[in-house]
Amino acid sequence: MLAGDRLVTQAVRRNGPWTALLVATAVGGAAAELALPYVAGRTVDAFVAADPAAVRWLTGCAAIVACVMLCESLGVWAAGASGACAAARLRLGVLRHVLGAGPAVTRRFPEGEIVTRAGLNTEEVGRAPESVTGALALLVPTVGALVALTLIAPVLTLTLFAGIVLILLVLNTFLRSTTTIAGGYQEAQGELAAGLVEALDGARTIAAAGTAEREARRVLRPLPRLRRHGLLLWRANATAGVRAGLVVPLVEVAVLAVGGFMLAAGDLTVGELYAAARYAVLGAALSGALGFVGGLARARSAAGRVAEVLAVARPRHGTRSLPPGTGTVEFRDVTGADLRVPELVVPGGSVTAVVGRSGSGKSLLAAFAARLADPDSGTVLLDGVPLPELSHDELRRAVGYAFERPVLVGDTIADVIALGRAAPDDAELDAVTRAARADGFVERLPRGYATPTAGAPLSGGERQRLGLARAFAQGERLLVLDDATSSLDTVTEREVGRALTAANGGRTRLVVAHRLATAAGADQVVWLEDGVVRGLGQHRELWRDPAYRAVFQGERP
Amino acid sequence: MRALLWRALRREPGQLVRICLWSLVEAAPAFLIGLAVARAIEDGFAAARVDVGLAWLAALGLAWVLAAVAARQIVLAVAAIAEPFRDDLLTHVVGGAVRRAAATPGAAQDSAAVTRVGLQVELARDAFAAVVTTVRGFAFTVVSVVLGLLTLAPGAALLVLPPFAAGLVLFLASLPLLTRRQREFLLADERLAEEMTAMAGGLRDIVACGAEERQGARMATHVEAQASAARALARATAVRTAALGVGGWLPVVLVLAGTPWLLSGGAGAGVVVGALAYVTQSLAPALGGLVQGLGVSGIQLAASLDRITAAAQPPPLRPTRLRPASAEVRLREVTFAYGPHSAPVVDGLSLHVPEGEHLAVVGPSGAGKSTLASLISGLLRPDAGEVLVGGVPADRAEPAARVLIPQEAYVFRGTLRENLAYLSTPPDHDPDHDPDHDPDHDPDHDPDHDPGDGDSDGAGPGAAELDAAVRALGAADLVAAVGGYDARLDPGALSAGQRQLVALVRAYLSPARLIILDEATCHLDPAAEALVEHAFAARGGTLVVVAHRITSARRAGRVLLMDGGRVQAGTHDELVHTSSLYADLVGHWQPEPVS
Repeated sequence: MLAGDRLVTQAVRRNGPWTALLVATAVGGAAAELALPYVAGRTVDAFVAADPAAVRWLTGCAAIVACVMLCESLGVWAAGASGACAAARLRLGVLRHVLGAGPAVTRRFPEGEIVTRAGLNTEEVGRAPESVTGALALLVPTVGALVALTLIAPVLTLTLFAGIVLILLVLNTFLRSTTTIAGGYQEAQGELAAGLVEALDGARTIAAAGTAEREARRVLRPLPRLRRHGLLLWRANATAGVRAGLVVPLVEVAVLAVGGFMLAAGDLTVGELYAAARYAVLGAALSGALGFVGGLARARSAAGRVAEVLAVARPRHGTRSLPPGTGTVEFRDVTGADLRVPELVVPGGSVTAVVGRSGSGKSLLAAFAARLADPDSGTVLLDGVPLPELSHDELRRAVGYAFERPVLVGDTIADVIALGRAAPDDAELDAVTRAARADGFVERLPRGYATPTAGAPLSGGERQRLGLARAFAQGERLLVLDDATSSLDTVTEREVGRALTAANGGRTRLVVAHRLATAAGADQVVWLEDGVVRGLGQHRELWRDPAYRAVFQGERP
Repeated sequence: MRALLWRALRREPGQLVRICLWSLVEAAPAFLIGLAVARAIEDGFAAARVDVGLAWLAALGLAWVLAAVAARQIVLAVAAIAEPFRDDLLTHVVGGAVRRAAATPGAAQDSAAVTRVGLQVELARDAFAAVVTTVRGFAFTVVSVVLGLLTLAPGAALLVLPPFAAGLVLFLASLPLLTRRQREFLLADERLAEEMTAMAGGLRDIVACGAEERQGARMATHVEAQASAARALARATAVRTAALGVGGWLPVVLVLAGTPWLLSGGAGAGVVVGALAYVTQSLAPALGGLVQGLGVSGIQLAASLDRITAAAQPPPLRPTRLRPASAEVRLREVTFAYGPHSAPVVDGLSLHVPEGEHLAVVGPSGAGKSTLASLISGLLRPDAGEVLVGGVPADRAEPAARVLIPQEAYVFRGTLRENLAYLSTPPDHDPDHDPDHDPDHDPDHDPDHDPGDGDSDGAGPGAAELDAAVRALGAADLVAAVGGYDARLDPGALSAGQRQLVALVRAYLSPARLIILDEATCHLDPAAEALVEHAFAARGGTLVVVAHRITSARRAGRVLLMDGGRVQAGTHDELVHTSSLYADLVGHWQPEPVS
């Protein structure tokens, strides 16, 4: 069985009482609706014949109507609640899996796609129980109606089918089947959207040139074409509506006519004729019931997309903790993507700069060191322990990571800084904020640490400093700074470096950097080129090599 | 937004009349169904007069066919109202988005949000059409059924209408609750989507911080909140369904219970069946349609319009523009910060760039170079101090006086000629300009076959001028590659470098005497960049280049070095000796003597 189908089955089975309630209301409601025309017909006949049983039939009618109403209401409630529960359960599973698998998911799916799959698609899978019972609820009365009609008079069933065939035949002759023109509409829509995105991306140019009105009109250029195609679509829909709207009433009229002959001949009672007409209407809805199968197909394909996310492997964590140590990092025979590092030691407590042109593998090396990615083969060790053998909490407590463009996760500034720690006290918070030189602007914020992140417009440099504070609060042995000071001015950058050295001097620092001064100030420089270590040593030694100097010259200012 | 709705409804009175007339035809079966069934049985089949019975049924069948034709006409008439409504909304959304983006060019443009609003427009159009169709259908059907029942048997009307009215009242009473629940659900759903988007965007950071567990717990609360809102909505929907049941099903029971009474009043069994047909075939479906129309589409329409209104705010007022006397730039004690609580990016900067100078601006990223470019081109106003271009405040200088080419070149879908002439044609000043420009004034006009579009014809650059500019900037290969000046450009198919070249030729052709290139050559190779900078230097006027490569600084007459509020100006040779940062940037590193 496909992984997607397994998800659908689970959604139906694990929904416990809801699925049972859905089935009960669907089948109960269908049966009641099926019984009503017959019982109502008998009631009329009994009253006409002044049969004392009429009151019993009437009571039956009332009971059946009550049952229909109850089943309808309960069914609607069960459908909504069951969908919500099934979707929520699956969604939470998907989200936890995404969190567990980490950046591997983002590498595989764009962010918007993750949201769609965890949001819309789980919702669709959640509707699977409803689709199954919904199809049941439509199929039971249609099939039942055909049986009931046949029981009343087989001729009427024949009339029903002959009527459907004949009416469709006639309609098809008179109504040209319109090929849909949805394509043209979507094209005009896409062009308009693309023009708008272009204009928004060009906002600076448009603002400087003072051409906003002209650009708005330019973007709206496809509008007349959009309307033309839109009206064509409406026309096609209207024509299809004629077809759909005529079949059922005309079949009913046909059944009434044939039934009328039988009534005149005394083969049918008035009540039976009424019941037959109702059954014809119910039975003619068969084509609609088949459409419900589409709901299940949608759930299945949505489940397939959700299953793809769940198929991304989660990295496993061990149970070991770290021995006492200073944060020595070792690479042994590491290969992964385009990076090959046979052997590299970052001594505990040192500052090691990683330099190289863009695309030389600097960030991947940093990611391996912090286990944000796993190499294809080889091992990275921290104080002698292979990273995958460390427990999750031990690993993250030991290693802090600061990014060039940190994403600030958390409701308030304090939450952002404390993301890597459960609950740091104020003194800790102050210390790391000061070390990252973020204390100045945090103090200026309207509510200090309690300022909501959403309401605080921050520059790139300020975000970087919050990202640094967050990493400082976390990495007890190793700090990986991946171009994390690129938006700081040189003085602040130097101060941050000094604060780190002074504060808890023992921490190892692995610094990916573009700036010459950073490399010059490091204890050791790892020089990467095309995914291999081209040089390892002190900056002043490497500087003699013109190729090393070229890394810093003619690049960005 | 309400005004938009009314305008849409009232703009086409002809279509409204058309809808009403066809609705009469469409409602004919609703009037006829019970009557025809009752008469066919009573006067026809039950009275052994088959021909009369068949005649009544034929009349009913004919009414159905006519009703189907009428339904088609109604869809078309509703479309004729809904399509202009959609156009209005789109014009509103696009105009608002472009104007707002131009008013706040520094802010990050969330084009995804704008696209979502575009989706809301489509939803609003469909919901609008559905509401108009169903509410109208309900009204006509109910009137027809009442008339039909009164014609058939006034007694039956007494049995049918009170429970139906009760159901309708119950439904209307449940509507506020349903609307509230629907809104709460949409909000919870949106909040969950936002949380999931934030989580997906911050996944790397969350994992790096080891905060997966806590983030998971946080997501669980939001997932649960959304599910609980969905369950509350389901309960409200169940209440609504019960109300619908009262209005649709109770009359059936009452008609059956009242059968002896109807029969004693002289009606036949056919009349009872006819009354039942009115309820089950006309009234119940119409009520269902109304529930769908108001309870689902109506709420959708309100929600969509809310979001469209929220997204499109009125455009800011533009000050009158002044013509600068020259192309010199003067900054006096200029301070600028992005927020009231942020540290200033530019702090007390004074600078004089005389007309004709070639200035390069260098510094680490985040040092305020682009901010300086925005201040000089008037996109940003200083918090303190003043920025003057030719003696006029920069934000009030005529757009034609200066050109800013940002790193992200703006190339739009149009011909290459249109794109190149963009800055050589006067901007927004056509006299009949109307911000709510209504494109349906001229529905047959297909602008796709009219690249001029009335905006950009007139004084564009001549062929010789175009050729000269293209040659000077080394863009001849690009012109050939896209297929000449009149080829239509697909911006997505051009490389970033090609787009920059288009923007640069455009700037070169403009009449402006002050050119500001904000990393505008970063996607060109170094040789092409050098050619471009030499061409602009030779073009005359003032040139300010925010340098992407440090080599740009060597070509400039003067260099401005920015570093966290500290600013130094001088020639390249001066700065190499006086600034360690500049030396650092240009790759001059001298091992410090060991003391």
